[in-house]
Amino acid sequence: MDLLYELVTDYTLRTVALGAALLGMVGGSLGSYAVLRGRSLIGDAVAHAALPGIAGAFLLTGSMNPLVLMLGAATTGLAAALLVETTAHTTRVPYDSALALMLSAFFGLGLVLMTYLQRHAGASQAGLDAFLFGQAAALVTRDVYVMAALGGIALVMMLLLWKELKLLSFNPDFGHSLGLPMQLLNGLLTTLIVVAIVIGLQTVGVVLMSAVLIAPTVAARQWTNRLGRMVALAAGIGAATGVAGAVVSASMRNLPTGPTIVLCMGAVVAMSMLLAPERGLLWRMGGPRTAAPSSSNSSFSTSSPADS
Amino acid sequence: MTDVALDIQGCTVAYHDTPVLWDASLTVPRGTITGVLGPNGAGKTTLLKAVLGLVPVASGRIQVFGDTYAAQQDRVGYVPQRGSVDWDFPTNALDVVLMGLYGQLGWFRRPGAHENEQARQALRDVGMLDYTDRQISQLSGGQQQRVFLARALVQDADLYLMDEPLQGVDATTERTIMQLLHNLRDAGKAVVVVHHDLHTVADYFDRVLLLNKRAVASGPVASVFTDANVSATYGTEMRASTEAH
Repeated sequence: MDLLYELVTDYTLRTVALGAALLGMVGGSLGSYAVLRGRSLIGDAVAHAALPGIAGAFLLTGSMNPLVLMLGAATTGLAAALLVETTAHTTRVPYDSALALMLSAFFGLGLVLMTYLQRHAGASQAGLDAFLFGQAAALVTRDVYVMAALGGIALVMMLLLWKELKLLSFNPDFGHSLGLPMQLLNGLLTTLIVVAIVIGLQTVGVVLMSAVLIAPTVAARQWTNRLGRMVALAAGIGAATGVAGAVVSASMRNLPTGPTIVLCMGAVVAMSMLLAPERGLLWRMGGPRTAAPSSSNSSFSTSSPADS
Repeated sequence: MTDVALDIQGCTVAYHDTPVLWDASLTVPRGTITGVLGPNGAGKTTLLKAVLGLVPVASGRIQVFGDTYAAQQDRVGYVPQRGSVDWDFPTNALDVVLMGLYGQLGWFRRPGAHENEQARQALRDVGMLDYTDRQISQLSGGQQQRVFLARALVQDADLYLMDEPLQGVDATTERTIMQLLHNLRDAGKAVVVVHHDLHTVADYFDRVLLLNKRAVASGPVASVFTDANVSATYGTEMRASTEAH
Protein backbone atom coordinates (compact mmCIF):
# COMPACT_ATOMS: atom_id res chain seq x y z
CA MET A 1 0.00 0.00 0.00
CA ASP A 2 2.91 2.34 0.70
CA LEU A 3 4.07 1.78 -2.85
CA LEU A 4 0.67 2.59 -4.30
CA TYR A 5 0.58 5.73 -2.18
CA GLU A 6 4.02 6.70 -3.40
CA LEU A 7 3.04 5.97 -6.99
CA VAL A 8 0.51 8.79 -6.70
CA THR A 9 2.44 11.21 -4.54
CA ASP A 10 6.14 10.68 -5.23
CA TYR A 11 7.16 12.84 -8.20
CA THR A 12 10.07 10.68 -9.39
CA LEU A 13 8.25 7.37 -9.12
CA ARG A 14 5.13 8.77 -10.76
CA THR A 15 7.12 10.21 -13.66
CA VAL A 16 9.13 7.04 -14.14
CA ALA A 17 6.04 4.81 -13.96
CA LEU A 18 4.17 6.99 -16.47
CA GLY A 19 7.14 6.97 -18.85
CA ALA A 20 7.56 3.21 -18.51
CA ALA A 21 3.84 2.64 -19.12
CA LEU A 22 3.99 4.77 -22.27
CA LEU A 23 7.05 3.09 -23.73
CA GLY A 24 5.64 -0.35 -22.92
CA MET A 25 2.30 0.46 -24.53
CA VAL A 26 3.75 1.93 -27.74
CA GLY A 27 6.53 -0.65 -27.96
CA GLY A 28 4.13 -3.55 -27.39
CA SER A 29 1.66 -2.34 -30.04
CA LEU A 30 4.12 -1.59 -32.84
CA GLY A 31 6.43 -4.45 -31.89
CA SER A 32 3.55 -6.77 -32.83
CA TYR A 33 4.06 -5.97 -36.50
CA ALA A 34 7.85 -6.45 -36.32
CA VAL A 35 7.41 -9.86 -34.70
CA LEU A 36 4.60 -10.99 -37.05
CA ARG A 37 6.72 -10.12 -40.06
CA GLY A 38 9.58 -12.23 -38.70
CA ARG A 39 11.68 -9.12 -38.21
CA SER A 40 11.94 -9.03 -34.43
CA LEU A 41 15.58 -8.00 -34.49
CA ILE A 42 15.09 -4.86 -36.57
CA GLY A 43 14.32 -3.17 -33.24
CA ASP A 44 17.70 -4.25 -31.92
CA ALA A 45 19.49 -2.77 -34.94
CA VAL A 46 17.52 0.49 -34.76
CA ALA A 47 18.08 0.87 -31.01
CA HIS A 48 21.83 0.30 -31.24
CA ALA A 49 22.05 2.54 -34.30
CA ALA A 50 20.36 5.33 -32.34
CA LEU A 51 23.46 5.83 -30.18
CA PRO A 52 25.57 7.72 -32.76
CA GLY A 53 22.49 9.85 -33.48
CA ILE A 54 22.14 10.84 -29.82
CA ALA A 55 25.85 11.61 -29.51
CA GLY A 56 25.89 13.43 -32.83
CA ALA A 57 22.86 15.56 -31.93
CA PHE A 58 24.52 16.59 -28.66
CA LEU A 59 27.82 17.27 -30.44
CA LEU A 60 26.14 19.52 -33.00
CA THR A 61 23.76 21.40 -30.71
CA GLY A 62 25.15 21.03 -27.20
CA SER A 63 21.53 20.59 -26.12
CA MET A 64 20.06 17.92 -23.82
CA ASN A 65 16.51 18.70 -24.94
CA PRO A 66 14.75 15.33 -25.31
CA LEU A 67 13.28 16.28 -28.69
CA VAL A 68 16.71 17.13 -30.10
CA LEU A 69 18.24 13.88 -28.85
CA MET A 70 15.27 11.81 -30.06
CA LEU A 71 15.50 13.43 -33.49
CA GLY A 72 19.18 12.46 -33.65
CA ALA A 73 18.36 8.93 -32.50
CA ALA A 74 15.56 8.59 -35.04
CA THR A 75 17.77 9.83 -37.89
CA THR A 76 20.53 7.25 -37.49
CA GLY A 77 18.08 4.54 -36.40
CA LEU A 78 16.02 5.00 -39.55
CA ALA A 79 19.16 5.22 -41.68
CA ALA A 80 20.32 1.87 -40.30
CA ALA A 81 16.92 0.26 -40.93
CA LEU A 82 16.87 1.51 -44.53
CA LEU A 83 20.45 0.34 -45.08
CA VAL A 84 19.53 -3.14 -43.80
CA GLU A 85 16.56 -3.34 -46.20
CA THR A 86 18.52 -1.95 -49.17
CA THR A 87 21.52 -4.21 -48.58
CA ALA A 88 19.36 -7.32 -48.25
CA HIS A 89 17.31 -6.32 -51.30
CA THR A 90 20.01 -5.30 -53.77
CA THR A 91 23.02 -7.44 -52.84
CA ARG A 92 23.55 -11.11 -52.13
CA VAL A 93 24.15 -10.38 -48.43
CA PRO A 94 21.36 -12.16 -46.47
CA TYR A 95 18.96 -10.15 -44.30
CA ASP A 96 20.31 -11.33 -40.94
CA SER A 97 23.92 -10.63 -41.96
CA ALA A 98 23.00 -7.14 -43.18
CA LEU A 99 21.23 -6.56 -39.87
CA ALA A 100 24.18 -7.69 -37.74
CA LEU A 101 26.53 -5.64 -39.89
CA MET A 102 24.59 -2.38 -39.54
CA LEU A 103 23.94 -2.94 -35.84
CA SER A 104 27.62 -3.31 -34.98
CA ALA A 105 28.83 -0.63 -37.40
CA PHE A 106 26.41 2.02 -36.10
CA PHE A 107 26.88 0.97 -32.46
CA GLY A 108 30.66 1.11 -32.92
CA LEU A 109 30.39 4.63 -34.30
CA GLY A 110 28.17 5.52 -31.35
CA LEU A 111 30.73 4.25 -28.83
CA VAL A 112 33.51 6.20 -30.58
CA LEU A 113 31.46 9.40 -30.46
CA MET A 114 30.51 8.83 -26.79
CA THR A 115 34.16 8.31 -25.83
CA TYR A 116 35.15 11.47 -27.68
CA LEU A 117 32.36 13.43 -25.99
CA GLN A 118 33.32 12.17 -22.53
CA ARG A 119 36.90 13.36 -23.03
CA HIS A 120 36.09 16.71 -24.57
CA ALA A 121 32.60 17.93 -23.87
CA GLY A 122 31.65 16.48 -20.50
CA ALA A 123 28.99 14.14 -21.78
CA SER A 124 29.04 12.19 -18.54
CA GLN A 125 27.87 15.25 -16.65
CA ALA A 126 25.28 15.80 -19.34
CA GLY A 127 24.05 12.24 -18.73
CA LEU A 128 24.48 10.94 -22.26
CA ASP A 129 26.01 7.66 -21.06
CA ALA A 130 22.63 6.88 -19.47
CA PHE A 131 21.35 6.03 -22.93
CA LEU A 132 23.49 2.90 -22.98
CA PHE A 133 21.60 1.05 -20.23
CA GLY A 134 18.90 3.60 -19.54
CA GLN A 135 18.42 5.80 -16.52
CA ALA A 136 14.77 6.07 -15.72
CA ALA A 137 15.31 8.11 -12.56
CA ALA A 138 16.50 10.99 -14.73
CA LEU A 139 13.09 11.26 -16.45
CA VAL A 140 11.33 14.59 -15.93
CA THR A 141 7.80 15.69 -16.77
CA ARG A 142 8.96 17.26 -20.03
CA ASP A 143 10.34 13.89 -21.19
CA VAL A 144 7.03 12.18 -20.46
CA TYR A 145 5.11 14.82 -22.43
CA VAL A 146 7.37 14.28 -25.43
CA MET A 147 7.00 10.49 -25.12
CA ALA A 148 3.21 10.79 -24.92
CA ALA A 149 2.99 13.11 -27.92
CA LEU A 150 5.25 11.09 -30.22
CA GLY A 151 3.89 7.73 -29.06
CA GLY A 152 0.33 8.99 -29.43
CA ILE A 153 0.95 10.07 -33.01
CA ALA A 154 2.51 6.67 -33.82
CA LEU A 155 -0.47 4.80 -32.32
CA VAL A 156 -3.02 6.93 -34.18
CA MET A 157 -1.19 6.29 -37.46
CA MET A 158 -1.22 2.56 -36.68
CA LEU A 159 -4.98 2.59 -36.07
CA LEU A 160 -5.71 4.64 -39.21
CA LEU A 161 -3.70 2.25 -41.38
CA TRP A 162 -4.92 -0.86 -39.59
CA LYS A 163 -6.00 -2.95 -42.58
CA GLU A 164 -3.09 -1.83 -44.77
CA LEU A 165 -0.53 -2.75 -42.10
CA LYS A 166 -2.28 -6.07 -41.52
CA LEU A 167 -1.98 -6.89 -45.21
CA LEU A 168 1.66 -5.75 -45.24
CA SER A 169 2.39 -8.15 -42.40
CA PHE A 170 0.42 -11.11 -43.74
CA ASN A 171 0.83 -11.02 -47.53
CA PRO A 172 2.65 -8.01 -49.03
CA ASP A 173 2.67 -9.45 -52.58
CA PHE A 174 -1.11 -9.70 -52.55
CA GLY A 175 -1.33 -6.13 -51.22
CA HIS A 176 0.81 -5.00 -54.12
CA SER A 177 -1.50 -6.79 -56.55
CA LEU A 178 -4.42 -4.76 -55.12
CA GLY A 179 -2.56 -1.58 -56.01
CA LEU A 180 -1.60 -0.63 -52.47
CA PRO A 181 1.85 1.02 -52.19
CA MET A 182 3.48 -1.68 -50.08
CA GLN A 183 6.98 -0.14 -50.28
CA LEU A 184 5.64 3.12 -48.88
CA LEU A 185 3.71 1.29 -46.15
CA ASN A 186 6.83 -0.68 -45.28
CA GLY A 187 8.80 2.56 -44.91
CA LEU A 188 6.02 4.05 -42.82
CA LEU A 189 5.79 1.02 -40.51
CA THR A 190 9.57 1.11 -40.05
CA THR A 191 9.31 4.80 -39.14
CA LEU A 192 6.59 4.07 -36.58
CA ILE A 193 8.75 1.32 -35.06
CA VAL A 194 11.68 3.77 -34.93
CA VAL A 195 9.44 6.21 -33.02
CA ALA A 196 8.45 3.46 -30.57
CA ILE A 197 12.14 2.76 -29.98
CA VAL A 198 13.48 6.30 -29.57
CA ILE A 199 10.87 7.25 -26.97
CA GLY A 200 12.04 4.36 -24.79
CA LEU A 201 15.80 4.77 -25.07
CA GLN A 202 16.27 7.13 -22.13
CA THR A 203 14.45 4.73 -19.81
CA VAL A 204 15.53 1.30 -21.02
CA GLY A 205 18.71 2.06 -22.98
CA VAL A 206 19.83 1.00 -26.44
CA VAL A 207 21.07 -2.43 -25.37
CA LEU A 208 17.78 -3.78 -23.96
CA MET A 209 15.24 -1.77 -25.96
CA SER A 210 14.43 -4.52 -28.47
CA ALA A 211 12.96 -6.62 -25.64
CA VAL A 212 10.22 -3.98 -25.20
CA LEU A 213 9.13 -4.57 -28.80
CA ILE A 214 9.35 -8.35 -28.75
CA ALA A 215 8.39 -9.59 -25.27
CA PRO A 216 4.85 -8.14 -24.89
CA THR A 217 3.96 -9.40 -28.39
CA VAL A 218 5.25 -12.92 -27.83
CA ALA A 219 3.33 -13.06 -24.54
CA ALA A 220 0.12 -11.66 -26.08
CA ARG A 221 0.25 -14.03 -29.06
CA GLN A 222 -0.06 -17.00 -26.71
CA TRP A 223 -3.49 -15.88 -25.49
CA THR A 224 -5.33 -14.90 -28.66
CA ASN A 225 -5.70 -15.71 -32.36
CA ARG A 226 -6.98 -12.30 -33.44
CA LEU A 227 -4.67 -9.47 -34.48
CA GLY A 228 -6.73 -6.73 -32.84
CA ARG A 229 -6.88 -8.46 -29.48
CA MET A 230 -3.21 -9.36 -29.75
CA VAL A 231 -2.07 -5.76 -30.33
CA ALA A 232 -4.34 -4.49 -27.54
CA LEU A 233 -3.08 -7.19 -25.18
CA ALA A 234 0.56 -6.50 -26.08
CA ALA A 235 -0.03 -2.80 -25.37
CA GLY A 236 -1.59 -3.69 -22.01
CA ILE A 237 1.19 -6.12 -21.06
CA GLY A 238 3.79 -3.54 -22.11
CA ALA A 239 2.19 -0.82 -19.99
CA ALA A 240 1.59 -3.05 -16.97
CA THR A 241 5.09 -4.54 -16.93
CA GLY A 242 6.50 -1.04 -17.43
CA VAL A 243 4.76 0.19 -14.30
CA ALA A 244 5.60 -3.02 -12.43
CA GLY A 245 9.27 -2.69 -13.31
CA ALA A 246 9.31 0.94 -12.20
CA VAL A 247 7.64 0.12 -8.88
CA VAL A 248 9.82 -2.92 -8.13
CA SER A 249 13.04 -1.07 -8.88
CA ALA A 250 11.91 1.83 -6.69
CA SER A 251 11.13 -0.48 -3.78
CA MET A 252 14.64 -1.94 -3.61
CA ARG A 253 17.97 -0.21 -3.47
CA ASN A 254 20.28 -0.36 -6.46
CA LEU A 255 17.83 -2.05 -8.78
CA PRO A 256 18.09 -0.42 -12.25
CA THR A 257 14.69 0.42 -13.77
CA GLY A 258 15.24 -0.50 -17.43
CA PRO A 259 16.57 -4.02 -16.82
CA THR A 260 13.88 -4.58 -14.17
CA ILE A 261 11.16 -3.70 -16.68
CA VAL A 262 12.69 -6.13 -19.18
CA LEU A 263 12.82 -8.84 -16.49
CA CYS A 264 9.14 -8.28 -15.67
CA MET A 265 8.30 -8.64 -19.36
CA GLY A 266 10.36 -11.83 -19.50
CA ALA A 267 8.40 -13.23 -16.55
CA VAL A 268 5.08 -12.56 -18.31
CA VAL A 269 6.39 -14.23 -21.48
CA ALA A 270 7.46 -17.32 -19.54
CA MET A 271 4.12 -17.49 -17.74
CA SER A 272 2.18 -17.10 -21.00
CA MET A 273 4.16 -19.75 -22.82
CA LEU A 274 3.56 -22.10 -19.94
CA LEU A 275 -0.08 -21.43 -19.09
CA ALA A 276 -1.89 -20.09 -22.16
CA PRO A 277 -4.72 -22.28 -23.46
CA GLU A 278 -3.99 -24.14 -26.73
CA ARG A 279 -0.50 -22.73 -27.20
CA GLY A 280 0.83 -23.10 -23.66
CA LEU A 281 3.27 -25.87 -22.79
CA LEU A 282 1.07 -27.26 -20.02
CA TRP A 283 -2.00 -27.29 -22.25
CA ARG A 284 -0.21 -29.15 -25.00
CA MET A 285 1.16 -31.71 -22.55
CA GLY A 286 -2.27 -32.16 -21.01
CA GLY A 287 -3.36 -35.48 -22.46
CA PRO A 288 -5.02 -36.83 -25.62
CA ARG A 289 -8.07 -34.55 -25.45
CA THR A 290 -5.89 -31.64 -26.56
CA ALA A 291 -4.24 -33.48 -29.43
CA ALA A 292 -6.26 -31.46 -31.91
CA PRO A 293 -4.81 -30.81 -35.38
CA SER A 294 -4.04 -27.26 -34.35
CA SER A 295 -1.85 -28.16 -31.40
CA SER A 296 1.20 -28.69 -33.58
CA ASN A 297 1.28 -25.04 -34.56
CA SER A 298 3.39 -23.50 -31.86
CA SER A 299 4.58 -19.93 -31.49
CA PHE A 300 5.60 -18.22 -34.73
CA SER A 301 6.52 -21.12 -36.92
CA THR A 302 5.62 -21.04 -40.59
CA SER A 303 4.27 -24.53 -40.39
CA SER A 304 1.12 -25.34 -42.24
CA PRO A 305 -0.77 -28.51 -41.51
CA ALA A 306 -0.86 -31.10 -44.25
CA ASP A 307 -4.13 -31.78 -45.92
CA SER A 308 -6.03 -34.44 -44.08
CA MET B 1 -12.55 -4.01 -76.64
CA THR B 2 -9.88 -6.61 -77.13
CA ASP B 3 -10.37 -10.35 -76.89
CA VAL B 4 -6.90 -10.81 -75.46
CA ALA B 5 -6.78 -10.65 -71.67
CA LEU B 6 -3.04 -11.04 -71.27
CA ASP B 7 -0.29 -10.63 -73.83
CA ILE B 8 3.34 -11.29 -72.91
CA GLN B 9 5.97 -10.77 -75.59
CA GLY B 10 9.67 -11.63 -75.18
CA CYS B 11 9.71 -11.24 -71.41
CA THR B 12 13.10 -11.65 -69.71
CA VAL B 13 13.64 -11.55 -65.92
CA ALA B 14 16.99 -11.90 -64.14
CA TYR B 15 17.99 -12.18 -60.47
CA HIS B 16 21.54 -10.95 -59.89
CA ASP B 17 22.45 -11.30 -63.58
CA THR B 18 21.16 -14.90 -63.75
CA PRO B 19 18.22 -15.12 -66.15
CA VAL B 20 15.29 -17.01 -64.57
CA LEU B 21 12.94 -16.26 -67.45
CA TRP B 22 14.25 -15.85 -70.98
CA ASP B 23 12.35 -14.34 -73.89
CA ALA B 24 9.02 -15.86 -72.79
CA SER B 25 5.82 -15.11 -74.66
CA LEU B 26 2.21 -15.99 -73.89
CA THR B 27 -1.17 -14.90 -75.20
CA VAL B 28 -4.26 -15.53 -73.09
CA PRO B 29 -7.67 -14.95 -74.74
CA ARG B 30 -10.76 -14.16 -72.69
CA GLY B 31 -12.96 -17.07 -71.72
CA THR B 32 -10.08 -19.54 -71.61
CA ILE B 33 -8.18 -21.39 -68.91
CA THR B 34 -4.43 -21.75 -69.44
CA GLY B 35 -2.09 -24.13 -67.63
CA VAL B 36 1.53 -23.08 -67.09
CA LEU B 37 3.75 -26.14 -66.73
CA GLY B 38 7.44 -26.77 -66.41
CA PRO B 39 10.06 -28.29 -64.09
CA ASN B 40 11.11 -26.70 -60.79
CA GLY B 41 12.93 -23.43 -61.36
CA ALA B 42 11.43 -23.04 -64.82
CA GLY B 43 10.23 -19.51 -63.99
CA LYS B 44 6.50 -20.25 -63.64
CA THR B 45 6.04 -18.16 -60.47
CA THR B 46 8.38 -15.51 -61.86
CA LEU B 47 6.19 -15.19 -64.96
CA LEU B 48 3.13 -14.40 -62.83
CA LYS B 49 5.13 -12.00 -60.66
CA ALA B 50 6.45 -10.25 -63.77
CA VAL B 51 2.87 -9.59 -64.91
CA LEU B 52 1.99 -8.22 -61.46
CA GLY B 53 5.07 -5.97 -61.36
CA LEU B 54 6.45 -7.85 -58.35
CA VAL B 55 9.76 -8.55 -60.11
CA PRO B 56 11.51 -6.14 -62.50
CA VAL B 57 11.29 -7.10 -66.16
CA ALA B 58 14.63 -6.71 -67.94
CA SER B 59 13.11 -6.67 -71.41
CA GLY B 60 9.90 -7.52 -73.22
CA ARG B 61 6.36 -6.19 -73.20
CA ILE B 62 3.41 -7.18 -71.02
CA GLN B 63 -0.10 -6.00 -71.81
CA VAL B 64 -3.26 -6.59 -69.79
CA PHE B 65 -6.49 -6.05 -71.76
CA GLY B 66 -4.44 -4.14 -74.35
CA ASP B 67 -3.14 -1.73 -71.73
CA THR B 68 -0.45 -1.53 -69.04
CA TYR B 69 -0.89 -3.63 -65.92
CA ALA B 70 -0.93 -0.52 -63.75
CA ALA B 71 -3.94 0.84 -65.65
CA GLN B 72 -5.86 -2.46 -65.51
CA GLN B 73 -4.79 -3.53 -61.99
CA ASP B 74 -8.37 -3.59 -60.66
CA ARG B 75 -9.30 -6.28 -63.20
CA VAL B 76 -6.54 -8.71 -62.17
CA GLY B 77 -6.97 -11.20 -59.33
CA TYR B 78 -4.02 -13.01 -57.79
CA VAL B 79 -3.79 -16.26 -55.85
CA PRO B 80 -0.25 -16.57 -54.48
CA GLN B 81 1.36 -19.86 -53.53
CA ARG B 82 -0.06 -21.16 -50.28
CA GLY B 83 3.43 -21.55 -48.84
CA SER B 84 4.26 -17.88 -49.40
CA VAL B 85 2.51 -16.72 -46.21
CA ASP B 86 2.71 -17.58 -42.50
CA TRP B 87 -0.52 -19.44 -41.73
CA ASP B 88 0.10 -18.95 -38.02
CA PHE B 89 -0.77 -15.27 -38.51
CA PRO B 90 -3.40 -14.28 -35.90
CA THR B 91 -6.49 -14.07 -38.09
CA ASN B 92 -9.47 -16.12 -39.29
CA ALA B 93 -10.78 -17.29 -42.66
CA LEU B 94 -13.33 -14.48 -43.09
CA ASP B 95 -10.68 -11.85 -42.39
CA VAL B 96 -8.35 -13.27 -45.04
CA VAL B 97 -11.15 -13.23 -47.63
CA LEU B 98 -11.97 -9.62 -46.69
CA MET B 99 -8.42 -8.67 -47.67
CA GLY B 100 -9.51 -9.14 -51.29
CA LEU B 101 -11.68 -6.03 -50.85
CA TYR B 102 -9.03 -3.77 -49.29
CA GLY B 103 -8.16 -2.25 -52.67
CA GLN B 104 -11.77 -1.30 -53.43
CA LEU B 105 -12.35 -0.01 -49.89
CA GLY B 106 -9.68 2.66 -50.17
CA TRP B 107 -7.60 4.25 -47.43
CA PHE B 108 -8.72 4.30 -43.80
CA ARG B 109 -12.10 2.62 -44.45
CA ARG B 110 -12.69 -0.64 -42.64
CA PRO B 111 -14.82 -3.47 -44.03
CA GLY B 112 -18.46 -3.25 -42.90
CA ALA B 113 -21.62 -5.37 -43.12
CA HIS B 114 -21.74 -5.17 -46.92
CA GLU B 115 -18.15 -6.39 -47.29
CA ASN B 116 -18.74 -9.12 -44.70
CA GLU B 117 -21.66 -10.42 -46.75
CA GLN B 118 -19.55 -10.44 -49.93
CA ALA B 119 -16.81 -12.39 -48.16
CA ARG B 120 -19.31 -14.88 -46.73
CA GLN B 121 -20.78 -15.41 -50.19
CA ALA B 122 -17.28 -16.16 -51.57
CA LEU B 123 -16.66 -18.61 -48.72
CA ARG B 124 -20.02 -20.24 -49.54
CA ASP B 125 -18.95 -20.53 -53.20
CA VAL B 126 -15.82 -22.46 -52.24
CA GLY B 127 -17.70 -24.60 -49.69
CA MET B 128 -16.04 -23.03 -46.66
CA LEU B 129 -18.94 -21.23 -44.99
CA ASP B 130 -18.67 -23.48 -41.94
CA TYR B 131 -15.12 -22.31 -41.35
CA THR B 132 -15.73 -18.54 -41.38
CA ASP B 133 -14.44 -17.92 -37.86
CA ARG B 134 -11.76 -20.60 -37.88
CA GLN B 135 -8.19 -19.53 -37.08
CA ILE B 136 -6.31 -20.06 -40.35
CA SER B 137 -3.60 -22.30 -38.88
CA GLN B 138 -6.36 -24.76 -37.94
CA LEU B 139 -7.40 -25.23 -41.57
CA SER B 140 -6.06 -28.07 -43.69
CA GLY B 141 -3.93 -27.32 -46.74
CA GLY B 142 -6.90 -27.72 -49.07
CA GLN B 143 -9.05 -25.45 -46.90
CA GLN B 144 -6.32 -22.80 -46.84
CA GLN B 145 -6.16 -23.04 -50.62
CA ARG B 146 -9.91 -22.49 -50.86
CA VAL B 147 -9.71 -19.46 -48.56
CA PHE B 148 -7.13 -17.94 -50.93
CA LEU B 149 -9.43 -18.72 -53.83
CA ALA B 150 -12.38 -17.06 -52.07
CA ARG B 151 -10.21 -13.99 -51.49
CA ALA B 152 -9.60 -13.79 -55.25
CA LEU B 153 -13.31 -14.35 -56.01
CA VAL B 154 -14.44 -11.31 -53.99
CA GLN B 155 -12.17 -9.18 -56.17
CA ASP B 156 -14.50 -10.05 -59.10
CA ALA B 157 -11.58 -9.73 -61.53
CA ASP B 158 -11.55 -10.44 -65.28
CA LEU B 159 -8.10 -12.01 -65.36
CA TYR B 160 -6.99 -14.44 -62.65
CA LEU B 161 -3.37 -15.43 -62.05
CA MET B 162 -3.11 -18.46 -59.77
CA ASP B 163 0.11 -19.96 -58.47
CA GLU B 164 -0.34 -23.70 -57.81
CA PRO B 165 -3.93 -23.51 -56.46
CA LEU B 166 -4.07 -27.33 -56.42
CA GLN B 167 -0.85 -27.83 -54.48
CA GLY B 168 -1.37 -30.02 -51.40
CA VAL B 169 -5.13 -30.51 -51.84
CA ASP B 170 -7.02 -33.80 -51.77
CA ALA B 171 -8.92 -35.24 -54.75
CA THR B 172 -12.33 -33.92 -53.66
CA THR B 173 -11.03 -30.40 -53.13
CA GLU B 174 -9.23 -30.56 -56.47
CA ARG B 175 -12.53 -31.32 -58.23
CA THR B 176 -14.28 -28.48 -56.36
CA ILE B 177 -11.58 -25.98 -57.26
CA MET B 178 -11.43 -27.01 -60.93
CA GLN B 179 -15.23 -26.73 -61.20
CA LEU B 180 -14.95 -23.17 -59.84
CA LEU B 181 -12.19 -22.27 -62.29
CA HIS B 182 -14.18 -23.67 -65.19
CA ASN B 183 -17.18 -21.62 -64.06
CA LEU B 184 -14.98 -18.50 -64.15
CA ARG B 185 -13.88 -19.37 -67.67
CA ASP B 186 -17.47 -19.96 -68.77
CA ALA B 187 -18.34 -16.54 -67.39
CA GLY B 188 -15.88 -15.06 -69.91
CA LYS B 189 -12.96 -14.54 -67.56
CA ALA B 190 -9.39 -15.51 -68.36
CA VAL B 191 -7.67 -17.86 -65.92
CA VAL B 192 -3.93 -18.63 -65.82
CA VAL B 193 -2.95 -21.50 -63.52
CA VAL B 194 0.55 -22.63 -62.60
CA HIS B 195 0.20 -26.42 -62.47
CA HIS B 196 2.50 -29.39 -61.91
CA ASP B 197 0.53 -32.52 -62.84
CA LEU B 198 1.01 -33.51 -66.49
CA HIS B 199 -1.70 -36.19 -66.32
CA THR B 200 -4.55 -33.75 -65.78
CA VAL B 201 -3.56 -31.10 -68.34
CA ALA B 202 -5.90 -32.31 -71.08
CA ASP B 203 -8.89 -32.49 -68.67
CA TYR B 204 -8.32 -29.17 -66.94
CA PHE B 205 -7.05 -26.68 -69.50
CA ASP B 206 -7.95 -25.22 -72.89
CA ARG B 207 -4.49 -23.89 -73.51
CA VAL B 208 -1.05 -24.61 -72.14
CA LEU B 209 2.31 -22.90 -71.80
CA LEU B 210 5.28 -25.25 -71.50
CA LEU B 211 8.02 -23.31 -69.78
CA ASN B 212 11.64 -24.01 -68.98
CA LYS B 213 13.17 -20.56 -68.62
CA ARG B 214 12.17 -20.18 -72.29
CA ALA B 215 8.66 -20.77 -73.59
CA VAL B 216 9.09 -24.16 -75.22
CA ALA B 217 5.58 -24.10 -76.67
CA SER B 218 2.26 -22.40 -76.07
CA GLY B 219 -1.21 -22.65 -77.57
CA PRO B 220 -4.27 -24.94 -77.52
CA VAL B 221 -3.69 -28.16 -75.56
CA ALA B 222 -4.64 -30.34 -78.56
CA SER B 223 -1.90 -28.99 -80.81
CA VAL B 224 0.82 -28.01 -78.31
CA PHE B 225 0.72 -30.62 -75.56
CA THR B 226 2.68 -33.27 -77.46
CA ASP B 227 5.28 -35.81 -76.35
CA ALA B 228 7.96 -33.95 -78.25
CA ASN B 229 7.18 -30.61 -76.57
CA VAL B 230 6.88 -32.15 -73.11
CA SER B 231 10.22 -33.93 -73.55
CA ALA B 232 11.82 -30.71 -74.69
CA THR B 233 10.47 -29.01 -71.55
CA TYR B 234 11.24 -31.61 -68.89
CA GLY B 235 14.00 -33.74 -70.46
CA THR B 236 13.61 -37.13 -72.10
CA GLU B 237 11.75 -39.06 -69.37
CA MET B 238 8.39 -37.30 -69.39
CA ARG B 239 5.65 -37.86 -71.95
CA ALA B 240 2.35 -36.09 -72.42
CA SER B 241 0.50 -39.31 -73.15
CA THR B 242 1.43 -41.01 -69.87
CA GLU B 243 -2.16 -41.12 -68.69
CA ALA B 244 -2.64 -42.31 -65.15
CA HIS B 245 -6.04 -43.92 -65.07
